[in-house]
Amino acid sequence: MMDCTRYRQTVMARPRDSDPALREHRESCRDCNFFTEQLLRFESHLERALGVALPTAQGETAASRSGRVLPLRAKSPLTWERSLASRKGWLAMAASVVLGFVVAAGLWLGIPGSSLAADVVTHMRGEPQAWRRTEVPVPDAALQDVLRDSHLRLAGGAGVVSYANSCRFRGYQVPHLVIQTEAGPVTVMVLVHESVSKSMHFDEEGYRGIIVPVPGHGSLAVLTRGGATDPKTVASIADRVLDAIVWTG
Amino acid sequence: MKDQVGGNHKQARFQALCQSLRPDLLRFAFWLSRDRALAEDVVQETMLRAWKAQDSLLDEAAAKPWFMTIIRREYARSFERKRFVTVDVDELVAREEPMLAAAEEQNIAELRAALFKLQDEYREPLVLQVLMGFSTAEIARELNLSGAAVLTRLFRARKQLRVLCGEDTSLDPQE
Repeated sequence: MMDCTRYRQTVMARPRDSDPALREHRESCRDCNFFTEQLLRFESHLERALGVALPTAQGETAASRSGRVLPLRAKSPLTWERSLASRKGWLAMAASVVLGFVVAAGLWLGIPGSSLAADVVTHMRGEPQAWRRTEVPVPDAALQDVLRDSHLRLAGGAGVVSYANSCRFRGYQVPHLVIQTEAGPVTVMVLVHESVSKSMHFDEEGYRGIIVPVPGHGSLAVLTRGGATDPKTVASIADRVLDAIVWTG
Repeated sequence: MKDQVGGNHKQARFQALCQSLRPDLLRFAFWLSRDRALAEDVVQETMLRAWKAQDSLLDEAAAKPWFMTIIRREYARSFERKRFVTVDVDELVAREEPMLAAAEEQNIAELRAALFKLQDEYREPLVLQVLMGFSTAEIARELNLSGAAVLTRLFRARKQLRVLCGEDTSLDPQE
């Protein structure tokens, strides 16, 4: 049986380790359980602190504009290509510039304008650390803290919530959750201040998702990363999450 | 003609790979250097080197560690080129002050300032683990350390950060 010192040394090096021996100790030791909750809360802050907003093809992100994340200096993502081209001569440069225009145009057309979906995708790009595949749930108290202001709680059935954060989005604090599903980690944003008239699928910048209306409670955004999950599965995950939400106000 | 089409396809794939990894590479370079401008320069040089050496990347699944290695070398080269003598942490923090203060929550801003103050040997494995999602074995391979040494550094990194942030560390274990 692992002792408390060994347990704490281990989780301070690997807070999200799902080793059964660690879980067994945590469940049998109240102090270590409390210690772990504290540590995971700190870890959540650490993940956010390390998240820096990056310039898009259009410049700064919505997140950096809001000052929520630490922005890097805006610079075209194609700078390195131009630099490469200049070293290879004008012909290569011309080819690169043309390619740059094609890519930039693709990015420009690919981003759904200033739509809600675009802002959701931009927000997700600012928090890449949330997409970890893990079986370790966030502490219940931390999850309740995040959900409380939106007047909801999650009943069982949604899946393991591995990440919970209260994020600034379009001027409001909104719950940002990552739920582990059979299709991998899925991000959920509860947008009580954003109403949509009908479900909207989107597939942009490597994120596939859906925004569904929630009558009386705004909308719900569900995103998967990569193109592996088909839209039907995304929609069924959204349905499942909606079923698990219990509105308290 | 067929070879040219194949070559173009390969280059396009590599370019797409670079674009998809660029955000992670920039974030890593930023926390490595604690300097936005330097991070962008390092990533740019990394992309150039990667482009020239793309044939040595045999498995796209291994691209992230491959790029990380190039970034770390480029960062080391930037020291050789610019001959930095000392790093004044307070000066670094002051230089990024507006950005650090831009965080909406005070505790996140404090944590960022604490990360700036953390020694490189602790900050680097922590960033690889938390931000890049590397396992202990992957960090050990990247930093040329034993697994035990990596775990010790991760432990110390978090302990120091908690102390710097004024967290209650009374329950923390001693080494």
